[in-house]
Amino acid sequence: MKTRWLHFFELLWGMTEKELRARYKYTIFGFLWLVANPILQMLIIGFIFTFFMKEPVEHYYYYLFIGLLVWNFFSLSLTKATPSIVFERALIKKAAFPRAIIPLSIILSNLIHFLIALVLYVIPVVFLGTLSLTRLPYIIGAIGFLIMFTGGLSLLLCALNVRFRDVNFFVQAILIIWFYATPIMYSLTQMPRTLLWLWRFNPLTSILQLFQYAFLGAPPPGPAMLASNITVIIIATALGILVFRDESKTFDDWV
Amino acid sequence: MRVKRLTIGYDILESYKIMNKSNNREEIAIRLSGISKKYEIHHEKPTLVEQFVKGKNETFWALRDINLTIKKGERVGIIGPNGSGKTTLLKIITGITTPTSGQVKTYGKVVSLIDLEAGFHPDLSGIQNIYLNGMLLGLSKRKIDELLPSIIAYADIRQFIDAPLFTYSSGMALRLGFSIAVHSDPDILILDEGFGVGDLSFQKKNKKVMASFFNQNKTVIIATQLLYYVRDNCNRVIILHRGVCKNDGSISMIKKYKHQQFS
Repeated sequence: MKTRWLHFFELLWGMTEKELRARYKYTIFGFLWLVANPILQMLIIGFIFTFFMKEPVEHYYYYLFIGLLVWNFFSLSLTKATPSIVFERALIKKAAFPRAIIPLSIILSNLIHFLIALVLYVIPVVFLGTLSLTRLPYIIGAIGFLIMFTGGLSLLLCALNVRFRDVNFFVQAILIIWFYATPIMYSLTQMPRTLLWLWRFNPLTSILQLFQYAFLGAPPPGPAMLASNITVIIIATALGILVFRDESKTFDDWV
Repeated sequence: MRVKRLTIGYDILESYKIMNKSNNREEIAIRLSGISKKYEIHHEKPTLVEQFVKGKNETFWALRDINLTIKKGERVGIIGPNGSGKTTLLKIITGITTPTSGQVKTYGKVVSLIDLEAGFHPDLSGIQNIYLNGMLLGLSKRKIDELLPSIIAYADIRQFIDAPLFTYSSGMALRLGFSIAVHSDPDILILDEGFGVGDLSFQKKNKKVMASFFNQNKTVIIATQLLYYVRDNCNRVIILHRGVCKNDGSISMIKKYKHQQFS
């Protein structure tokens, strides 16, 4: 039993290394793309949206950047993990290894990128003076929820995508909407109070608010928001694990 | 007092069970009981809409109620016309897919020589691919460290071992895949059709390896159309026909099978 788990993690790490090694091979800037991407996004959104904001968000470029980092981790993981089982059909047909390795290695490799970018982000934030060590638990909690939600949702979506290839297109479409439904470019304080219940269904709300609170002192998520978001996270993760466990037995029949 | 006696009785029962189990492990390599496999036929890409509109899909039974016990050291040839369920049976034994009903029990490590190049990443070097592929076949990292020189030597890749895999010829990649698979030290080796890999000298080497597998008392299961290969290498033949086990016995059945085929 113990060796089985050891082998699971060895294989998971091996596949993650493959993802990491293969991604920036033959690129000139390599790892730099990691931060260049969100910086470019931050600059253009920051430039345009400051014209529309009625009440400006404090440290807006920093606010944008952390939101984009989290969002890029989430959306990239989902877009790559959803079709992953179908893409790796040759592996499925070759050997009987734990299938969850395929989507989880994608998420793990993205997570490593995300954490490196996060460390780089902390450096300028230190000079802002909004950081304090007491906020560290919030960051860890936010990362934990983010991993849970991304992992559970990815397992669910990639398992469903094996039978219903529509799921991949659905994810691509929904991610565009989801971006605007998440407080990345705006703050919930700018939204009408009567509509706030809408964000309770989007777990990324609390996750982002925790990050924004911990790094920049933006308003933290309220207890009702946090509770309902965590409920959604737990449901999605449990559903993902259950569906994946059930479906993974017959992946070979469908790819 | 009564409680104590009960526990003693239980202990004896348990130890008897364990003994029985270890006995089984020594003898039996694979036990299939009541294996059936149903596939859903999809004429086109399955979509959500189709699923909801049609409700039920057409189905096809690839295997029906297969009962099979293969002992350790047996060399089983599975023969039968195309579409008789040979590959499905091998996939179920390997654990690549799960039967619709029935139970599979395998004792020991099962490695199949299907899709030898699968799992290679074109941008990674030969060595990196050996690690990845070996782990997919169930080897630990430490074991691969140990086996690495022997895997490389056997595959005969030489100076290309540090080069990315996309620079390999297809023969080299196949050889590497084959080398990893045979080094993974399987207790049960599964061969599906078309395992004549590589050029002549490599095939000679393969023959030797296969012979050593046969001599080491390893369980080998071969699905093929090459009757002479089964005749020369197996000591048990299973004839599948439309998903049903038609015959199961010694290699003398091959003659009967040939006869059936032609009549």
